[in-house]
This record gives sequence, structure tokens and C-alpha cells, in this order.
Amino acid sequence: MHNSITTLTVGLMMSFSSYAGMHQTMDVDSDTGITSWKIKAHGVSFSLTQILPEQSRAFYVNRGFTLQQSEAFASSCVYMTVMRNDNAPGTIHFKRSNWSVSINNKPHQLKSVAQWIDTLKKQKVKMPALIAFRWAQFPPEQEYEVGGDWNQGMLSIGLPAGSYFDLKVRWDIDGKEYETTLRGVKCAQ
Amino acid sequence: MEKSMKQRYGELSVRNKNHFMKIVLLIVLVFSFNTVTAAENGPPLTHKLTKLKQQLPAPALRLKNMDDEVVDIKDLKGKVVVVNFWATWCPPCRREMSSLERLHLATKEKNVVLLAVNVGEDMDTVFPFLGMISPSPSFPILFDTDTETAKQWQVKGLPTTYIVSPEGKIVYRAIGGREFDHPAIQDAVIKLTK
Repeated sequence: MHNSITTLTVGLMMSFSSYAGMHQTMDVDSDTGITSWKIKAHGVSFSLTQILPEQSRAFYVNRGFTLQQSEAFASSCVYMTVMRNDNAPGTIHFKRSNWSVSINNKPHQLKSVAQWIDTLKKQKVKMPALIAFRWAQFPPEQEYEVGGDWNQGMLSIGLPAGSYFDLKVRWDIDGKEYETTLRGVKCAQ
Repeated sequence: MEKSMKQRYGELSVRNKNHFMKIVLLIVLVFSFNTVTAAENGPPLTHKLTKLKQQLPAPALRLKNMDDEVVDIKDLKGKVVVVNFWATWCPPCRREMSSLERLHLATKEKNVVLLAVNVGEDMDTVFPFLGMISPSPSFPILFDTDTETAKQWQVKGLPTTYIVSPEGKIVYRAIGGREFDHPAIQDAVIKLTK
């Protein structure tokens, strides 16, 4: 199905060689301008791909949101997020609540999936649409076994279009903590 | 049950205008999502299953299929059951769906049953989607519309797949998309039947 879309990915890129074992790249889709940031660290790969506000609106309107109900999330700097345990030293466990966003080294609070659902309930979003919303999000908490467990889902950063930020992703293996940081990520405009 | 489902797929081209519009909307939706995933095709699908250290009894699973008949995993004791939780909007679920059908075709005569549990959607959404998959799934599609079954099975993200032994215990798990028609997975599934 993916082959139906021709993607020419320009592979430019930023390398943060000062981080041992961590390599960040940025790809720009030459057709759409959609940008992805990827990093590999400690045997885990992680990526963010911009979801344009109109794509997010279309998705949620198709799942039962009204245009008005879809607006807050669609315009909140949303990414398709992929995390995978390629060859970490063991089973990785993460909670999204342990991840952090910073802008010019100043912390920015991420809104949780539960907080988004509370907001959407107040907007009287219907239950089937809320269910679709919940399951379309990147999991709030998860475990991945070595060798290919992974998920793909949406992550809202909660920043205006065009903002730049760093995202620190944390996980643990049997209580030992690991982290990596995606730097200079830009919200779609 | 399968014959009935196939008949329904065969009727796709003559379904009413409402279904046609749903297909058009779905294509628009899929295109929209593919635009997103074009830049992020997702990691390559592997064929590794996690063998669980603690093989607990499978939770209850009693859901309606596309023919509005109840399917209960309790009635499948003595068979290997592959339980795949999925949704139409989920890109890796779409990527692995054809390989699930090939796994089904390769194992259905070997005491293996594949159940694809759709999470949170309804017949009107799922039916046109299945017509777009090649090969089109001939295994049972079940509807977990309130997502309670997914919660009981401790599914945290889609797709998630479990392989249940003939004794009713969960032996393998896979979080995220897989190549289910890979010989390694087929062999692991068939080995459980013996």
C-alpha cells in the first residue's frame, strides 16, 4: 500500500556525533515537505514524522469528530511517532509521562492522552470517536521485547506551528534508565 | 461462516450507494494517512515472536463476527488460536493484514484458527476496507466495539497479536506489525499444534 505513494526522501542531514552510539537524521519528503526526525540509541530506534493539521483534521473527522472538535488536537503540533526495540540489552519499558520537551532549554509540559480525552469529553465528542482517538495515540505506557516489538501512533507536543523543540525520550530495562534526545524538531506549518 | 463472508465480499460491487461513498471516503482517508507514512514507512516488519516466560491462560474472548454470530475462544480449545487486535486506520495493521491471510491459508487445515479482532470500529467501516486488501481476508473478523476485550488482553497499542496453545494458554506475543507468512512464524504456529 505504501508503494502507491512515490516518496523521494532527501537525506540531508544532521549528525550529532558527540552522542556516542546515537545518530540523529532528518528526512524531508520532496513532494509534501513533511519532515521526519530519527534517532537510534542503546538499541532502540525512535522517530517523529510531522502530521499536517489538515491531515489530522481529516483523520478525526472521518472517525466521527466535528471539524470544531478536531481543531484543538489538529493544531497542537502532532507527530506520527515510531519506537522500536531493535537490539536493546533487554525488554524496554517506558511511560510517556517520563518524556520531556524543552524549548531553548526551558521545559514545556506535554499533555497526556488522558488529559486530551478529558478535554474532548467536555466538547461532547461521541464515544466511538473517543475510542478511535485513544487507540490512534502513541501508547502512554508500553513494553517492547528485543527483536522488533514496536508501535506507531500520534503524539501531540502542544506547541504553535513553526515552533522548534527538543524531545527527551526515556525508558528503562529492569529498572536501569536510558534516554535519548531528538534535537531541533520543528512543528509543521 | 467463511463461505458466507466470501459471498458478502463478492457482493461488494453491487452494494448500495452508501457503501460506495464509504469506500470513496476510506480511500481519501487511507491516502491522507499514506501521505503521512510515505515519509515514515515504518520500520521493516520482522518475523520474531516473543515466547512468554509465564504462559497464562488466555482471557475471555466472546465477540460477534461479520455475520453477527458469536465466536467464543472457549469453543476453540484443542486448536491453536492466533488472535490479532487491529483497526483499519492503523498503518502497521494494514501492512501485516495480507501476511495474516497467507498464514491463515497455510495453516487452516492444520488445526489453527485465526481471529482478527477489530478494536473500536463497526461493520460499515471494516467491510469496505477488507475489499481493498489483497488477498482479501477470509479469516473471521470480530468486533470489539467497546474495546473491553482488548483491555482484558492487556493490549496497549495496535496491532498486537497473541498465539494461544491448544490448552488455552498464551505462548507467543507480537507487539507491532510482523510478516506472519514468514516460514519461522508458520513453523512456530504449526509446532504448537503437535
